[in-house]
Amino acid sequence: MDKLIDDEILVKQFQSGSQRAFDELMKRYERKIFGYLLRSVRNYEDAEELTLEVFFKAFRALAKWEPKAKFSTWLYTIASNLSIDYHRTKTRHPVYVLEDEDVLETRVVANDLSSNPEKQIEDMERGRIIREAVDELSSKQKEVFMLTRYEGLPIREVAETLGMAEGTVKIHLHRAMKKLQTLLRPLMENNEI
Amino acid sequence: MGKCIISEAHAIDYVYGELDPSKMDEYKEHLMTCNNCTRMVNSFKRVLQLVDDAEGVYAHNISMPKNLQSKLYRRINAEDPVETTIASKFTSTISNLLTLMNQQKATVFSLFIVVVIGTTFFLTDPFQYIPTYKENVDDTAHVKIQEYRQLEIQRNMEDVLRNRHLRNSNKWDRVSQLNRVKDQARGTDWATIAHQHLKSVHSEL
Ligand SMILES: [Zn+2]
Repeated sequence: MDKLIDDEILVKQFQSGSQRAFDELMKRYERKIFGYLLRSVRNYEDAEELTLEVFFKAFRALAKWEPKAKFSTWLYTIASNLSIDYHRTKTRHPVYVLEDEDVLETRVVANDLSSNPEKQIEDMERGRIIREAVDELSSKQKEVFMLTRYEGLPIREVAETLGMAEGTVKIHLHRAMKKLQTLLRPLMENNEI
Repeated sequence: MGKCIISEAHAIDYVYGELDPSKMDEYKEHLMTCNNCTRMVNSFKRVLQLVDDAEGVYAHNISMPKNLQSKLYRRINAEDPVETTIASKFTSTISNLLTLMNQQKATVFSLFIVVVIGTTFFLTDPFQYIPTYKENVDDTAHVKIQEYRQLEIQRNMEDVLRNRHLRNSNKWDRVSQLNRVKDQARGTDWATIAHQHLKSVHSEL
């Protein structure tokens, strides 16, 4: 299907009965949504389950959807609500969190069994420390940080996605940056700026 | 020079490219003379760089879950069995078939090969040697065997790592498990990884 077709036109086609239009929308966004949820929940199976849930909800709700916002913003709204719910209901079990992270890391390695395993392990360790710092952010700080940084959404769209005022988004973002700065200070001192 | 009164929020907005364009030039000029703000800006840039590296590697290297689309439709169908007309049944069968063919490219391809070989066998001299097809089939088999081996090693490695966090896990058990993985993984990068983990277990003992 033509890549140049706007998401919103595909939505219209889906609303008039074309399932292929939905397939195309899913093809466009499944990777992004999965990546976003994986960063958010840090567990491969849960991220997969939540990704399915996002598209399931989208499939159900799309019939009555009206293009007040961009389709992608709407999709991220569903995803971020699910991820906030996930963190709310998930009781924190540090043991399991570590376990997930380890299993994930072996997956990472499995996908790149190349050149220099020793450096890979070093990077993995460093990456883990940094991601743990990101996970220390409050759920709203983390959402804001992730959406601006890795989904490339401008503050205005993040505000729309999360149903917040732009000023509130900025406050969360500032707090997130301050907290990361504090948590990552040990790593920064090893690498003089 | 007194303490600078421009806030950290300013520095963060600047690093994020969210600073109001009307304040941009002024702030850039200010940075040339204010060590305090320059230090803040550099520090926030460094934070983003560190996180970008960690998160970039993280999501980039991870493979997508398989067959999300068919899983979704299975779920939609399970929750809401649509009344089926003959026409819709026909189209859905065709589309399922297409999806299946898409997913099972390898199977369809091997079937195709078998059919081609079979036809050639009947149409031409049956004892004529057909090297191309044979090589292809062997290659596929070889690749599959390698894939299974990698998967097996990965699964064992995951088991060891999972056990590592169990409270009562015995370190000597882990050593022997890791040694087993290392043997199994000989000749691959997994062996090195198992070795690294072994070293860290030994240092804990
Ligand atoms: Zn200053």
